[in-house]
Amino acid sequence: MTCDELVAALVDFLGGELVIEVRETVEVHIRGCARCEAYVATYTHTTRLTRALPRCGAIPPDVEARLRKALEAEMGGE
Amino acid sequence: MVAPVAEKLTPEVVFRDYAPRIYNLARRMLGNDADAEDVTQDVLLQVVRKLDTFRGDAQISTWLHRVTVNAALAHREKRATRQRRETADPADELLETAAPETAVRRWSVAPDEPVLAAEQQEVIERAINELPVPFRDVYLLADVEGLPNADIGEMLGLSVAAVKSRLHRARMRMRDLLAPHFEELKP
Repeated sequence: MTCDELVAALVDFLGGELVIEVRETVEVHIRGCARCEAYVATYTHTTRLTRALPRCGAIPPDVEARLRKALEAEMGGE
Repeated sequence: MVAPVAEKLTPEVVFRDYAPRIYNLARRMLGNDADAEDVTQDVLLQVVRKLDTFRGDAQISTWLHRVTVNAALAHREKRATRQRRETADPADELLETAAPETAVRRWSVAPDEPVLAAEQQEVIERAINELPVPFRDVYLLADVEGLPNADIGEMLGLSVAAVKSRLHRARMRMRDLLAPHFEELKP
């Protein structure tokens, strides 16, 4: 497996979607290639950091006020 | 153990529990607050009009993702002239997929669940906003919202292979954008 082939397989590798033989080939390559090992680590960090973002940050107060008003108008119009 | 009684879905409950999620997804997809507000209002009105048809939280969550994505895509379409260069298919060519040619420096990141400082959140949000639109959509739905590739493909009208390809390119670009902020300092 080349470095380019390893990089191309990363989505499936991290998603646990590789068949065992290919997975093992990826793991062997990573153990023997310092550059790919560091690259996979930083690629993985990228997804972990992104997943740590809050999904439900607060709505700005002025936006919330306008949205509530629109919702109330909708309910009042029923 | 007694299962908790499900809270009745009212407009207030919908607003409290779902408006922030709708707003944040729309803001990240569209890249600005005004468009996110329009989409959030559109989606909230759709939800309250259909309140009687929902049977539980799981069902409304799935539906909300779909409706929010559709509303954001429609909103973006309305502004297509302004954003045409971002949404054109040739954007596929913009992101590299090759392995790095030079040494990769390690990052300083907590080993388990990273807790992001406000400044780090800002760096990541800015990087997401720099992704070309087709890649940003897939990245947001996969790596922020945590949706399965098949669901993302269905929402965006893409094959699972296309979702994976865009996700991979987006992650590579994100890695490059975040690297300067997270690399370990040289000893």
